[in-house]
Amino acid sequence: MDFRLTQDQLELQNAVRDYLTAEHDAALLRRLDAGDSRDPAIWDGLVDMGLTGILVPEDCGGLGLGLVEAALVAIELGRANVSEPLADTALIAAPLTSAEQQSEIATGKLKVALAHNVNPWIADLDQAGLVLGGTHTESATPLESVDPLRRLFASDETSGSDDLLDRAALITAAQLLGISEHILSLATDYANQRVQFGQPIGKFQAIKHHLASVAVKIEFARPVLLRAAYALENNHGRAALHISHAKVATTDAAMLAGETAIQVHGAMGYTYEVDLHFWMKRAWALAGAWGDRAFHIRRIEAGVFTGALETNHSNIFSKE
Amino acid sequence: MELNYTPEQQAFRAEVRAWMAANVPSQSLKTLEGREGFDQHVLWERKLASGNWGMVTWPEAYGGRGLDLIQWLIFEEEYWAAGAPNRANQNGIFLLGPTIIEYGTDEQKARFLTPMAHGEIMWAQAWSEPDAGSDMAAIRSRAVRDGDHYVINGQKTWSSRAAFADWCFGLFRTDGESSRHHGLTFILLPLDTPGVTVRPIRQLHGETGFAEIFFDDVRVPVENRLADEGEGWKVAMATAGFERGLMLRSPARFQATAKRLVQLYDQHSQTASPQARDAVLQAWMDAEAYALNTYSVAAQVMAGRKIGAEASLNKIFWSEMDRAQHRAAMSLLGAAAELRTLDDGEANAWLEGYIFSLSGPIYAGSNEIQRNIVAERLLGLPR
Repeated sequence: MDFRLTQDQLELQNAVRDYLTAEHDAALLRRLDAGDSRDPAIWDGLVDMGLTGILVPEDCGGLGLGLVEAALVAIELGRANVSEPLADTALIAAPLTSAEQQSEIATGKLKVALAHNVNPWIADLDQAGLVLGGTHTESATPLESVDPLRRLFASDETSGSDDLLDRAALITAAQLLGISEHILSLATDYANQRVQFGQPIGKFQAIKHHLASVAVKIEFARPVLLRAAYALENNHGRAALHISHAKVATTDAAMLAGETAIQVHGAMGYTYEVDLHFWMKRAWALAGAWGDRAFHIRRIEAGVFTGALETNHSNIFSKE
Repeated sequence: MELNYTPEQQAFRAEVRAWMAANVPSQSLKTLEGREGFDQHVLWERKLASGNWGMVTWPEAYGGRGLDLIQWLIFEEEYWAAGAPNRANQNGIFLLGPTIIEYGTDEQKARFLTPMAHGEIMWAQAWSEPDAGSDMAAIRSRAVRDGDHYVINGQKTWSSRAAFADWCFGLFRTDGESSRHHGLTFILLPLDTPGVTVRPIRQLHGETGFAEIFFDDVRVPVENRLADEGEGWKVAMATAGFERGLMLRSPARFQATAKRLVQLYDQHSQTASPQARDAVLQAWMDAEAYALNTYSVAAQVMAGRKIGAEASLNKIFWSEMDRAQHRAAMSLLGAAAELRTLDDGEANAWLEGYIFSLSGPIYAGSNEIQRNIVAERLLGLPR
């Protein structure tokens, strides 16, 4: 029993974070927002980092890593607000595709879009060479998201599997955690800089207590997410339940972080001028994606109340 | 990341489970906050000690089992799953014991730890004063050196367990010229020392679990001082660190409550509101999250990391979860929630638990103080 990330896992996460901090900053988001929100150079950079091959087996040209590593990468994609379809293609779809397709995913040639009846949209359908759970239609209607960097298309006939849903909910939860952490850091920076009544507003307890409450929410969402990744990676019987828990916990953290951060920023938070809005809007989008809070709560209550799940507490790591 | 119990850990779990099954009282004890219940709980402490289950995390040399944190979590899981009573010796096990192990002389260890491990002496805390609550460094009670004794004058309050305990430990100002956290000394003394008056305070639930302690020229031998004179703040912070940290409230206790709450919901599912249903699910999720977080922090501590301000995140989380769990139960009970005895003739433990849970966000450093600590030391906001 050792609930610590391995040295390799920590190094992977740090490498991705360092790369994205340097190459994928807020100025880039503004440039994408002014343009058409995608840039092939960003995708190529992610491919060069090897991130398209995270889950692809080594004999298909990938790194052959697992879902804990995928979740760590997804946390960083959330933190940097990456919009390229890396999470969908490499962290969710890859294991559900053929060996040939996985090779193409690893080289960055194949992008995959995901369709499922929990979502009324398919993200990045126009770039996709493969649609899991749906079909590729040239005439799909574009939909406008509140998140200026999401590219959505209307979806009608879908057949996405439960496995796809679980993987996507897990990776979405991981992004929400990264988003929460970044929003907290934006709000903390602002509270340290903004001066009113002759002092940084972060010196006022009202501000401190707001931000501390966000830190608590994040702290207790993180291990829930990591357990869910571990459980799905190891085919534990309760993996789906743990994923739902992770999606609820990270959604709650991200929504609280967003609402708190806009309050701490005051009127500036209500503008397009500060960077906060990019992350806040991504949080709103992902909160509803791949099963909203109510959907996942229903899955949890089915487990907890029907007696199907023995709630004995020595079982938080149960394989059954 | 390796989220599996080893065969040794599984065998240990089985050993604890078997002992608890054979020894946990079949009838629930009266409340720990009253005299009769306190005495019942002391007998239970001695029963635990007879099986060497009293102080499992202490080194074997001092009557413990030298368990690591994972074994401690397993022990706690089996303890609370078995429905075992609350711990009358909490102050000794988790607060004073570890502090003596870290700061005590060999003589003090021999003198205090063994009787504590055997459940022979129950300990009360003596930190707060009428004008030193959240602001603990405002302590004014004086201990003046007189030969090989200290002479103590002053008043302590909100002293947990003092109404029934045998000894107390706390901070006293030994340097009259000092202020704030300087010049304080950590002293232990029997509550039956001449000049000590314990005045029980009737708590919200009507019982008298805590008390005021008045000191009137109380003479305490110098050998009852822990660590050097003037070092009290540092020693107390270590104690408060243990207290706020991992061990004050083990996750298993809240998981056991969550499990009972799910069972209570099942009994009331026909009449329960959707809000109550959500609250029960949140309680269940939070108890899991708290357990997972504890396993995660425990792994880091075992690898050598010190717990610092992170302990404040823990304290905020468990205390607010505890209150929410019991509020959910009260809501399920509906009109029966106010009754002190329920249909089955048993005391309304949910009501008692709800009342007790209201103290959680206040004691051991109020949650406002904890949020300041999180904001200043973890997030880096200005003091």
